[in-house]
Amino acid sequence: MFILEAIRDFFVGLGSQFYQTMIVDDRWKMLISGLQNTLIIAFFALLIGVAIGTFVAIVKVMAVMNSKSKLLRLLNWLCNIYINIIRGTPVVVQLLIMYFVVFVSVTNALFIAIVSFGLNSGAYVAEIMRAGILAVDKGQTEAGRSLGLSGSQTMKAIILPQAIKNILPALCNEFITLLKETSIAGYVAIQDLTKAGDRIRFTTYDPFTPLIVVALIYLVMVLGLTWIIGKFERRLAKSDNR
Amino acid sequence: MITVKKLNKKFGDNHVLRDIDEFIEKGEKVVIIGPSGSGKSTFLRSINLLETPTSGEIWYEDECITKPGYDADRIRRRMGMVFQHFNLFPHLNIMKNITLAPVMLKIMTQDEADERALRLLRRVSLQEKADAYPSSLSGGQKQRIAIVRSLAMNPQVMLFDEPTSALDPEMVGEVLDVIRELAEDGMTMIVVTHEMGFAREVGTRILLMDEGRIIEQNSPDRFFTEPKHPRVIEFLSKVL
Repeated sequence: MFILEAIRDFFVGLGSQFYQTMIVDDRWKMLISGLQNTLIIAFFALLIGVAIGTFVAIVKVMAVMNSKSKLLRLLNWLCNIYINIIRGTPVVVQLLIMYFVVFVSVTNALFIAIVSFGLNSGAYVAEIMRAGILAVDKGQTEAGRSLGLSGSQTMKAIILPQAIKNILPALCNEFITLLKETSIAGYVAIQDLTKAGDRIRFTTYDPFTPLIVVALIYLVMVLGLTWIIGKFERRLAKSDNR
Repeated sequence: MITVKKLNKKFGDNHVLRDIDEFIEKGEKVVIIGPSGSGKSTFLRSINLLETPTSGEIWYEDECITKPGYDADRIRRRMGMVFQHFNLFPHLNIMKNITLAPVMLKIMTQDEADERALRLLRRVSLQEKADAYPSSLSGGQKQRIAIVRSLAMNPQVMLFDEPTSALDPEMVGEVLDVIRELAEDGMTMIVVTHEMGFAREVGTRILLMDEGRIIEQNSPDRFFTEPKHPRVIEFLSKVL
C-alpha cells in the first residue's frame, strides 16, 4: 500500500510541478513560439541547402564528365573549397561568424540563422545528391549521349529523374539532422525551441519539466519524420517494378 | 564512309588499341569478333567517341571527328548505338524512350516522333508495348526497343556492341532477326558479336581482333574456311 501511495504522490507532484512551471503565466506559449522559429529555420535552411546542394553536385559530376572545360574546373575547385570549409568547421562557429562578422549590420537574427544553416546544409546535401547521381547506372549516360543528347540534356531528362529516388530518403534524413542542429540558434539570441525551454528553466528554477518537454517535442517530430520516410521508401521501391 | 587512321587507346598502362587502320564503306556490314579483352568494344565505342582516342584520327565522310573541339553530339546523332545491356530509360515508357532524343533535339515534333515510333514498333511487332515500362519487358523485347530507339534518330550507321550477349538463349533469335532485316535494308553497320553463325550470314566482312590489333580480315566465307593467322585458327577452333 505504501509503495502505491508513493507512486501516486509522485505523479500528483509531477502534475502540480508541470502546472506551476508550464501553465502559470502561459509559459507554454513560449515553447510554441520557439517551436515556430525552429521550424521556420529548419524549413528555409533546407530550401537553401537543396538549391546550393543541387548546383554543387551537378558541377562536381559534370566536371568529372568533361575534364577539359576550364569553367567547370574552376567551379569544381570553388565547390571543393566550400565543402571542405563547411564540413571542416563546427556549425556553431559558422553561425557565430555569420552573426558577428559577416552580417554584423543585419539585425534580423532569424534571417542570419536561415542563411547559416542553409549554407551548412548545402555542403551535406551536395554530397547526398552527388552520391544519388553517381548511383545511376553509367549505361544510362552512355545511352543518352549516344543518341546525340548533350551532357546537360542527358543529366536533366535521364539521370536526375532517376537519381531523385536515391536522393529523397537521404534528404529527409538531412532535414531531421537540420531540425536538431537548429537547437544552437540560441547562441545568436534567437528564441528557438531549446532556448525557450531554457528560459523557462531559469525563470522557474525547475530544470526538469521544461527540458524534458523540449526533448519530447524534438523526439515526436523526429519519429514522425522517420515514419514518413519509411512510407516514402516503400512507395519508391514499389515504383521500381512497375 | 568511316576511315580510321593509326588509332591508339590507352587506359593508363593498358594499351587497348594499337595502331588500328580501317576503312568502312557505306552499306558494309562489318562484324568484329575476337577473344574478350581484345579491344573490340573499345574500338566500336571510339567510333562514336564514347571513348576518346589517345592518338590517331577517325574520319566520318570528309570530317575529322577526332580533331580538338569537334562536337561529338553531331556525330552521335548520325550513328545509332545498341548496347549489351540495352540501357533503356527505366523511368520512361517505351514511347517516351523512343521519342525523347528526336524531340529534345528538335529534329521532330512530338507528333512526328510518335508517328515514326509507332511505325518502327510495328516493324519489330511491339506496338502493343508502346505504353509499357521497360521493366515489364523481356530481354529480347528490351533489345528490340533499344534498336528502335536508335533508329528513331534516322542514323546512317548502326553500331552494335554485343547485342545478344546478355540475352537468354531463346531470345537471341528475335533480336538477330531485327538486325538481319536492318542489314537487308542496306544499313551500314558495325557489329561486335560472339554469334559466329550470324557473323557469317549477315556480315559482308569479318575482322578478328586480338590484343588491340586487327589481325585478320576477310569475306565471311573465306574467313571461316581459309583462316591464315595461327591466332585466328586457334580462336576459330575454340568457338566453332
